[in-house]
Amino acid sequence: MAFLIKRGSKKYPYITARVRAMKSKLMLREVYPKLMNMDIAEITRFIEESEYKENVDELAQQYSDIDLIEHALNQNLARTYRKLQRISRDEPNFLITEYLRHWDIWNIKTILRGKNYGADPEEILDAVVAAGQLGYRQLTEISGMNSIEDIKSALALTPYYPVIEDYDGAMLSDVENNLDKLYYSRLLASLGRTKAEKLSLKFIRTEIDIKNLKTLFRTKKADLDKTIILELLIPGGVEIKTTDLNKLASLKWSDFLKALEDYSYWSVLSDVVSVKMDSLMDMEAVLDKYALAFASKISHYYPLSILPIFDYMLNKELEVRNIRTIVRGKEAQLADEAIRKHLVI
Amino acid sequence: MVDISIADATVEQIIANQKGLVAIGAGLAVGLSGIASGIAEKDIGAAAVGAMAEREELFAKGLILTVIPETIVIFGLVIAILLIFL
Repeated sequence: MAFLIKRGSKKYPYITARVRAMKSKLMLREVYPKLMNMDIAEITRFIEESEYKENVDELAQQYSDIDLIEHALNQNLARTYRKLQRISRDEPNFLITEYLRHWDIWNIKTILRGKNYGADPEEILDAVVAAGQLGYRQLTEISGMNSIEDIKSALALTPYYPVIEDYDGAMLSDVENNLDKLYYSRLLASLGRTKAEKLSLKFIRTEIDIKNLKTLFRTKKADLDKTIILELLIPGGVEIKTTDLNKLASLKWSDFLKALEDYSYWSVLSDVVSVKMDSLMDMEAVLDKYALAFASKISHYYPLSILPIFDYMLNKELEVRNIRTIVRGKEAQLADEAIRKHLVI
Repeated sequence: MVDISIADATVEQIIANQKGLVAIGAGLAVGLSGIASGIAEKDIGAAAVGAMAEREELFAKGLILTVIPETIVIFGLVIAILLIFL
C-alpha cells in the first residue's frame, strides 16, 4: 500500500478538482471588452453582482467608488489565497504557503516604500494584500508605525528580517532587490525533493526567467551599467541561467535583442520587440500572456499535481490586475486602446 | 482439520474439496475487484466532493463519475456467480 501513499495521489484529487471548479468561476475572456464599454458606476455594479459581491457588501460602508473596487479586489484576492491554504493539507499546503510568501515580500516592500515617501497608513493599506503569512491585522499595525526601527522589530521574527536588518531609510531599492532574491532563493532551496516539488520548480523558475527578462528590457532600455543590472537580476531561471544573465547584461541594446533570438521566449517576443521600440508595455503584456499560457499548458500535462493550483493562483491574480487596470484606466480617462494594451487576457 | 491425501480420498471428498476451492476463487474475484474499485473510487470521490464544494450543480455528474469504477466489482461478482452456479 505504501506505493499509493508515496505517489501522493491521495492529496491532489480533491484540491485540484476544487481549484478547477474555482477557476471556472473566474471572469471569461469575453467579459473584459464588455467592462471596457462601461463607466465606473456600471463596473462597480457589475462587480457587485459577481464573485466579489461579498467583499463589496462588506466594504461598502467604509469606501466608495474606485476605492471600494480596489479594496474589494484586494480583499477577495487575499481571501481566495487563504482559502487555498485552508482547503489543502500536507504537501500542497506547504507548496502553496511557500509560494504565497511573495505577497509578504510585496507587503513589506509596499510598507517600506510608503513610509519612505511619507504616505498615510490608509494609503499604504490600500495597496497591501494580506495573502501571505502576515495577516491583515499585523499589516495594519505595521503600516501604522512611524519609525523604521519599530517596523524592523515588528518583523524581527519573520524570515525576512536578515534583509531589512540593516535598513536605515536609505537605499530602499537594495532592500527591495534583496527581498526578491531572498524569496526566490528560499523557495528554490526548499523545493526539489519530491516529484511535486520538482514540478513546482519548473513553474517558479520560468517565473524567474520572465521577471529577469522584464528587468533586462527595462534596464537595457535605460542603458544602465552592467553591475547595476546584475544586482537587479534573480539567479535560478530555467532557460536564462546565470552565465546567460551575465552575457545579456553586458550587451548593447541591439545586440541584446539579437541574443534573445536564441531563447524560446523569442517566439512570443519577436512580434513586439524591435530596436526602435519606444514603449515596453507590449513586451510586458506578451510575457505575462506567455506565463499564463505556460502555466495552463503544464497544468494539463500534470493534472494531479500542484501545477493546476499555481495556474489558478496566477489566473486569479491577473483577473484582479485586469479589473484594476480597467478601473484605473477609466478613472484616468485613458483611451480604450491604451487600457487594452495593459490587459493580460 | 481432516488430513486428506488424494490417493485415500473418496469421490465425495474430492468433490467437496473442489467446491471449497471454487468458493475461495469466487471470494477472491469479489474481494480483489472490490479493493480495486475502492482504490479507483477514492480519488474520483475526493475530486467529486472538491468540485461539488465549489459548484453544487456538479453533484449529479460527480455521483455518476464516482460510481463508474463500480463496474469492476460487478465484473468480479459476475465471475463469482458463474463460478458458483455453473
